[in-house]
Amino acid sequence: MNTFLIVLEALNVGFLQTLKLFAVTLIGAIPLGLIISFGSMSKFKPLSVLVKTFVWIIRGTPLMLQLLIVYYFPGLVLNNPIWGSGESGRFIAASIAFILNYACYFSEIFRGGIQGVPVGQKEAGQVLGLSKSQIFFKITLLQMIKRIVPPMSNEIITLVKDTSLSRIIALQEVIWAGQSFMKGAQGISGQIWPLFFTGIYYLLFSGILTIIFNKLEKKLSYFKT
Amino acid sequence: MAILEVKNLHKSFGKTEVLKGIDFSLEEGEVLSIIGSSGSGKTTLLRCLNSLEFADRGTITVAGESIFDSSVDLKARSEKTLREKRLYFGLVFQSFNLFPQYSVLENITLAPKLLKKATNEEIEKTALELIDSVGLSEKINNYPCELSGGQQQRVAIARALALKPQILCFDEPTSALDPELTGEVLKVIKSLADKNMTMIVVTHEMSFAHDVSDKVIFMDSGVIAESGSNEILTNPQSQRLKAFLNAFGK
Ligand SMILES: Nc1ncnc2c1ncn2[C@@H]1O[C@H](COP(=O)(O)OP(=O)(O)OP(=O)(O)O)[C@@H](O)[C@H]1O
Ligand SMILES: [Mg+2]
Repeated sequence: MNTFLIVLEALNVGFLQTLKLFAVTLIGAIPLGLIISFGSMSKFKPLSVLVKTFVWIIRGTPLMLQLLIVYYFPGLVLNNPIWGSGESGRFIAASIAFILNYACYFSEIFRGGIQGVPVGQKEAGQVLGLSKSQIFFKITLLQMIKRIVPPMSNEIITLVKDTSLSRIIALQEVIWAGQSFMKGAQGISGQIWPLFFTGIYYLLFSGILTIIFNKLEKKLSYFKT
Repeated sequence: MAILEVKNLHKSFGKTEVLKGIDFSLEEGEVLSIIGSSGSGKTTLLRCLNSLEFADRGTITVAGESIFDSSVDLKARSEKTLREKRLYFGLVFQSFNLFPQYSVLENITLAPKLLKKATNEEIEKTALELIDSVGLSEKINNYPCELSGGQQQRVAIARALALKPQILCFDEPTSALDPELTGEVLKVIKSLADKNMTMIVVTHEMSFAHDVSDKVIFMDSGVIAESGSNEILTNPQSQRLKAFLNAFGK
């Protein structure tokens, strides 16, 4: 039982790091994703081509590879190890890779949400003499949100599990914490069950998110677009 | 004096000229029907009147006030004056375009409240009267998705009326409706005509047009091919209008 408590505490610490990466990614990727979606819809061709190419590269390559490049490129290629060797450097590198990656996925969802609102909605607002900002905030915004909630909830639940990829640069998240008891940590070694046990954390957390998103979808189901 | 005067209106999309010099005028309280085959430029004309499109050439004047003048630089006028000029007209769309997240009452009060046209109580009182006049008093708290097409279009008419436009435009208001629902919408338009509302109605409902119109314009590939009183529907002069009406089995 004592062993169990030791493991549990270590996993809690690891999961806190998982949650931190999750939260930082959302906080960074949602606004950046909006900016990217506007860039990709820009009427200024060079900008939209540039942004779409960037999105294509990010979405067309594995997140794990992006993590490795962000983490190792400055040190090994530029001889300028800006991340240092500590946990905080790994966290910053992981956050950058995750934010960039998720911003690109979010941007496509936002673009679909924005373009999915029929032009007739905007035009109806225009002929009623409303201003651009009144049309956006009072008419189109909620319709956009309704459209993006289902795909966003999918992405966000995928993000919960994707955070485990940061194990590849040795970020001390929950998988790393579970694995440490195989090699040996705090007098416990050769144990595989703590690693398997981390699954419970993911299950609980994604379960909670699923409930929240279902509630939100239900709240928005009073109207149809 | 005519309430609406349209002079020499031209509009092109890229290389295709859609309006090739449109001239007409309308007196206060008159109903004008615009008929014509698909692609003849009817919607484009209504959209120019409502400043959803801007003509390349020509002028639009309402009650002596210039709504559009191609000799004045478009960029010189502010967003605010544009919005004010839009309010001379109302537009009822073929596809209703109600705001789905708002109830019937909210759809009608949204714009007057945002534009601070009156106090909120007055706006709601007017809205309830309008809803009553289109026969939807039982539906004030329903959402658009809970209404039939005909009911939605009647809400859209009330929504446009709430801003008291000088001229109300309809773009094929019954084309998206099942045949059994067109009657209730046409009845509302007819009742507005009886109250001397100035209206422009693009329609394919020939007997309705004949019944309600003071003037009729027949458009054909961007020009007014024939115009006159509703008599032209029963007694067309031009070959093109004859052919068009024949195609309608008239
Ligand atoms: N935004 C646009 N860009 C390019 N072409 C357009 C645009 N809007 C309309 N057109 C073209 O202009 C022409 C006239 O269109 P318009 O919608 O005014 O016709 P209409 O008389 O209303 O036809 P319908 O009876 O089918 O509604 C059509 O050939 C159409 O393809
Ligand atoms: Mg049309």
